[in-house]
This record gives sequence, structure tokens and C-alpha cells, in this order.
Amino acid sequence: MKAAIFKRNEFYLLLVIAAFSFAITLINPAFLTIENMFDLIRSSSGMTILAIGFFVVLLSGGIDISFPAVAIVAQYISVKSILALGIDDIWLAFAIAIAIGIAFGAANAFFISVFRIPTLIVTLGTMNIFHGAMLEFVGTKAIMVGELPNCFKTFGLTDILSLPRADGTQYGLSVFFLIVVGALLATWVILRFTVMGRVIHAMGGNMEAVKRSGYNIARVQFFIYCYVGFLASIMGIIHVSLISYSVPTYIIDSELLHVIAAVILGGASILGGTGSLTGTILGVIMMTILEKNLVMLGLSSFWQQFFVGLIIVLGVSVTHIQKRIRSRT
Amino acid sequence: MSDVFLEARNISKAYEGVKALRDVSMTIGRGEVHCLVGENGSGKSTLIKIIGGVVAADAGVVVIGGRAHAHLAAIDAIREGIQIIYQDLSLYPNLTVAENISFNQFVERRASFVSWRDVRSIAERALEEIGEQIPLEQIVQDLSVAKRQIVAITRSLTQNARLIIMDEPTSAITKEDVEHLFSVIARLKAKGISTLFISHKLSEVFEIAEVVTILRDGMKVGDFPASELDDAKLTYLMTGQRIQYSPYRFSGEKKAAAPLLEVRGLTRKGQFQDVSFSLWPGEILGLTGLIGSGRTELALALFGLNPPDAGQVFLNGRVVRVRSPEEALRRGIAYLPEDRLTQGLFIGQSIGDNIIITILKKLLGALGLIDPLRRRKTENSWLEELQIKAPSPKVRAWSLSGGNQQRVVLAKWLATDPKVFILDGPTIGIDIASKSNIHQIIRALAERGIAIILISDEIPEVLHNCNRLLVMREGRLVREVADATSVGEEELLTAIGGKLTNKTA
Repeated sequence: MKAAIFKRNEFYLLLVIAAFSFAITLINPAFLTIENMFDLIRSSSGMTILAIGFFVVLLSGGIDISFPAVAIVAQYISVKSILALGIDDIWLAFAIAIAIGIAFGAANAFFISVFRIPTLIVTLGTMNIFHGAMLEFVGTKAIMVGELPNCFKTFGLTDILSLPRADGTQYGLSVFFLIVVGALLATWVILRFTVMGRVIHAMGGNMEAVKRSGYNIARVQFFIYCYVGFLASIMGIIHVSLISYSVPTYIIDSELLHVIAAVILGGASILGGTGSLTGTILGVIMMTILEKNLVMLGLSSFWQQFFVGLIIVLGVSVTHIQKRIRSRT
Repeated sequence: MSDVFLEARNISKAYEGVKALRDVSMTIGRGEVHCLVGENGSGKSTLIKIIGGVVAADAGVVVIGGRAHAHLAAIDAIREGIQIIYQDLSLYPNLTVAENISFNQFVERRASFVSWRDVRSIAERALEEIGEQIPLEQIVQDLSVAKRQIVAITRSLTQNARLIIMDEPTSAITKEDVEHLFSVIARLKAKGISTLFISHKLSEVFEIAEVVTILRDGMKVGDFPASELDDAKLTYLMTGQRIQYSPYRFSGEKKAAAPLLEVRGLTRKGQFQDVSFSLWPGEILGLTGLIGSGRTELALALFGLNPPDAGQVFLNGRVVRVRSPEEALRRGIAYLPEDRLTQGLFIGQSIGDNIIITILKKLLGALGLIDPLRRRKTENSWLEELQIKAPSPKVRAWSLSGGNQQRVVLAKWLATDPKVFILDGPTIGIDIASKSNIHQIIRALAERGIAIILISDEIPEVLHNCNRLLVMREGRLVREVADATSVGEEELLTAIGGKLTNKTA
């Protein structure tokens, strides 16, 4: 068991993160402070939640690229509804967003399980259907800070833990952290302790064998894509609460690539069946550090785009090479 | 006589009009080790799928434990204790041994939650029952194929298996592992669990089976106690005699001093060993042996698809190293694959496209684009030359009969103007008339000076179309017949089948 830890992708990722953090701290001592950590947690919460959902899909051997569209659609409709209803309540905002997220997830699952269309193609299509339909029927006007219902702003500034700075002012750990921890725990329990969760693992390993076992695959697919929709809609609310405005035309596409890169970096195979939640979280941490600190290391922000692409291509190449080596023996 | 566990009665099944099974009946006793043998396409896999409820029979019933099922569903078959272990084993490579073994249990129980203690105890108990030891926490993809097989068998035990059907379980494992597998089967037998074993290796059939059922062309030849069969008889019953041939005569004066192709000591571990032979232009050299004897593997090696570990290949006296099919074609070696439908043809494309695929470069005109006129001319000339019966080259390949399809594949390779043409099972699944037509084409090619290697496990086919014969068995060339007219069928049958007297280490 001792030797096993050195074989794990997570171990090496952790080493890289440590090295990176060390290097950044040398240049900028403010990096390794509790305040900065709290700040990074707050700003990367949305991405973490998306990554958890994306990891679940990837584990099952599928892929879902519609989640950024689901997030923005759920967010905008939720904000609009709160404005229209005049009930300034964050719980209601969540409820509306979640209903939309799950409905869209069910639509994805429907095409995937009933028509047996490749998941990438389905979600590529639905992504545009969801977003296009919303722009046409709900509106295109951005909702800026002044207009945004207070519940989002308050929620975005809620801390679950406050610490004093040297000058007497306060900084804190955002409530977003609770949601991330909740999503992580729930996903971990599902993947580890439910039969459905084990079937998700099994599907990624050998889809044909799951079919032969007699398990209802359509049910699992509905669960997976609804769950991703659910998480995406939560991210939508976190996102608007963080930045305090909602732009419906903005489809969080850079977020999509970052999430994919983070999950692949965390050791999940694009072919399904492998990877871990721990790896996924480490992947998100690595991506967040890259995102926020490349400039500090003297590299232009364009390098970030470059690295995201490189991680995806290299990550996928490695899994395919491993697979080829394995099939040769 | 043990009591009957399963009876398949008068099973018939057709796929798109082609009869895969005709009125086949079979009985499997409790605790019996039963072998099902037959050539490719004889209907073996269709029969096991019907018994497992995976495919519905057109006619006939499956009686299990006295209960008749006209429409056996897969789930019913499983409930009755029938477990099929497919060649791919249906395991989850990314999960542990314990989880693989117990997975179906949890699915069957319709449980919502996994108890990891149960996962372990189910697996432990099942492994104990079968008397095997495999670390429970090991990830299955890190196991050897033989171990994975044991995992698959163990898993079937967790579902109260009464009959375990194994589809060619020995095709990918070593001799020691086969012996081990047989000991497992013996233990199953002791528990009253029946085994239906599908194999191509005759020696194994005799070692393990009590009863052997032979299928040929979708019909049952008969049930035989293993003790009443020997190699020659079994092989004869499997392949049978179908066509009358006239021998191919290779006129000696055409024989050049030096061979066109010479193979020396060619070896690929586990597939073929120390194979040496020569081939002259105008010859039809027969290469025969059972599946797994190394004949196809050897052919693939010559065509650059299966690099040998040792040995040399000479073309026109010069050493060549063929690393890819492109290189093989450039050197004038063509290979007609065994599986016409998946490897020989682009089944959904037009026959014209199929023919010119190998010579696209030769058809390039101005601007480096394909010259439509030359393309049309090439396609039509091949249709005419090989008498492919199709209204136009634009017809899709799938719409043709087997014989016409095979002529398209022949045209595709002949278009490359090969010097050495390897034909692997060129008449598998083709009706008798087309068969002799293809034989005639092959002879005409040889007379034109092409050196041909004809691979087939149908003894009469090689015996009567070749001037010289090579026999492979367990990876070795065991016999060379310089004059094909000098041997009889029985003698060759004995040569290709059965055990080697001097056991290879």
C-alpha cells in the first residue's frame, strides 16, 4: 500500500502544486496567506462545482459540454424571475435555477439514452438550443449591479468565518466554501457507496458488460446528466453572486476549457472509468494557481490559454498511449 | 447417464435470409463437460446466444430443468443459472477483483447502496468455492488474461450458475493456464455445474470433453462421446468434403532457379516458430492448419502487420524487412484477409471505390486530383476481368453476393499488380458455384506468373488447388508436401489436427 501512493497521479500533482506555490511565494510573499487562500477559494468555487459534475460524466465514459450554457441560462432566468416576482429570496433563486438545470440535464439524457447519440454531439447541440432559446425568448439585456436583486449580492458577501486583518478590518471565508464541500461530500457518497455510483465507474470501464449485467443504463444516464445540470445551475447562482451582474450573452466558454483541463489534469481519462475526486480537486487547484499567478511569474496572460490547450492535448495523449501499451501486453 | 439439465430442441435461426442454424438439437447433462465444435460460420455462436437468451430462435424451444421456453429472455436464462463467458470476458478493467466478482450480485439485488464488506465477502466466498486465490484489491486490468478468466468464471458462480458456457476460452492463454482452467472446470463438475466449452483446438477437446457436438454449415453433424473420436475423424466431421476438384499442375520447366520469396526461421513468440519455406513464381502453395496453428499470423507477418521477432524474409534473393502493409504492397506482396466483411471491404461504399482504394496514387491526373476517366476505365476493366456481376461500379458492396464481394476484394489487390499474393480463406462462406469460379481465377493468376499462397483449413480446397503444401500445427511447419497429388485427404487431416508426438516445451 505504501508504494501505491507513488504510483498515483494525485501524488505528483500535489508535488507540482507545492513546487509552484513555493515559487510564487518567493516572488510574492502575499500568496501563501490565509487571506489569499480564502480569496482563491471564493473565486474558484464555481469552477470546482462544475469540475465535480464534469468528472462524474467523464467517469461514466461520456462527456457533457453543455454545462456552461446550462449555468448561464439557469442564472439569467433565475435573476429575471426574482426581479419579476419581486421576492428577493436566495432560496427561491436557487430553486428556480436548479429546476432549470435538472430539466436541461433530463433533456440531454433523453437524447443520449433514447436515441443513443454520442454524448459530445448531443451536448454540443443542446448547448446551443438552451442558450439560443433563452436569448430569443427571455432576453439579451444584461442585468447590472444596480438592478441585481439584493439577495445575490448579500449571498455573495456572506462569510462563514471571519478573521481580523492587521489594520483591524475583517476578511472571511465565503459561504461558497460550504456549497463546494457539500457537493464534494454528496458526490463522494454517491460514487463510493451507491450501486448507481459503482455502475457509473463500471460504465466507464466496460459499457457492454454493464448492458449484459441487466442494469438499466438509461436510469443511470438520466441521473448523471441531471446531476451535472443540477451542479451547473448552482454554479450559475454562485457566479452571479460573485461578480454581481448577469450577462446572458456571455456563455462561459473559457470556463468550459478550464474545467476540462482541470479534470484531465486530475487524472481522469477522457475514455472514462478512471480518476478520482481528490485528483479533480487538485486539478482545479492547479488550474486556479495557473490562472491567477502566471502574470506574477512574468508571463503574459496569453500563456494561460496556451497552457490550458497544452494540458488537454497532453493529458489525452497520455491516456491513449497508456491504453495502447496495455492492449499490447 | 447424468440427468438432463438443458435441452435445445429443433432450433432454427436465419439472419436476413441466410440460415445460420437448421433444426439443431442438443442436450446437456447436469455436471457434464460438453464441447461444441465447428468451423467459422458453422453456427456455434448463434447456438450459444440462443441458449443464453441473447438471440431469439426462429423456431424450436429451449428446455431448462424441465421447463420449456419458446422465447427465452436473457434475464430468464440467467435466473435458470445459465452464464455465458464471452471471449471479451465482460469484466470492468478499472475496478478491483472483488468488485468485478460481486458486481452482478448488487445489480440483481436491486440494492441502492454498496456495502464494501459484502463486496469483499461475496468475492471471498466465491473464490473459495472455486478454490482460487486472487488478491481482492487488485485492479483487473493489471491481471493476466488467464487470471481475468478465473475472475469471470468466479463471478458467474455468484449468480448460482448451473451451466457455464465458455466461448473459446483457451484462444489467448498459455498451455499451463489451459491446464489450470481445466482443473477449474473439473472442480465445477464436481459441484454438479455443467460446462459448455467451445474450442478450435482439437487436442483440448479430447482432454476435457465428455460429449462433443459437431456443427457444420448450421446443421448438426452429431453428438459423439469424446472416447469415440480421434483427430482425423473429428476434423473430417467438422470440415467435410464438399467439392470435386481437378488438381493444379505446376509445370516444372517454368521454375526459375531462384525462388521469388524465401522465408528463413521466421518466429514470433507464441504464434509461430522457426518457419522456413520458399515460393516460386507461378506456384500455388497451400498453407493449411487449424485456427490457432499460426497460419494467419504468419501471413500477417509477411504482409507487415505482425512483425516477427526473429528470422529473415528474402524477395528475389535480397533480405527485406516488411514493417507495414504499404511497404508490402510496394514490394509486390498483397494479402487477401480472412474476414471479407470487416477487413476486406468497405462494405458501405461502392464496389468501384473498393477496387481503386489500393491504387489511388496511380489514378492521379493533373493537379494531383483523381482523374475521373481513368478511374472509370480501371473500375470497368476489373469488373469485366473478374466477371463481377453488378450493373455498375457505383453499386454498394453490401448488395453483392458473397462470391461477387470476394471478387471485388480480389480486384482490389490485383490492381496493385502483386508478385506474391497471399489468400487467407478466400472461399469462406461462399456458395459452391462461386467457389470454383474463384479457384479458377486463382489458377489463372498463377499461370500468369504470380506466386500464390493459399491459406485454408478445408483440406480438399488446398489439396486440389495447390501444387505444393505446407502444414502448420501449434505454430510450427510440421509437414511439407512437394507434390500435392501424392497425398490423400485422410493423411493430411491427421497432419493438421491432434497432438504433437514430441511435445514442445
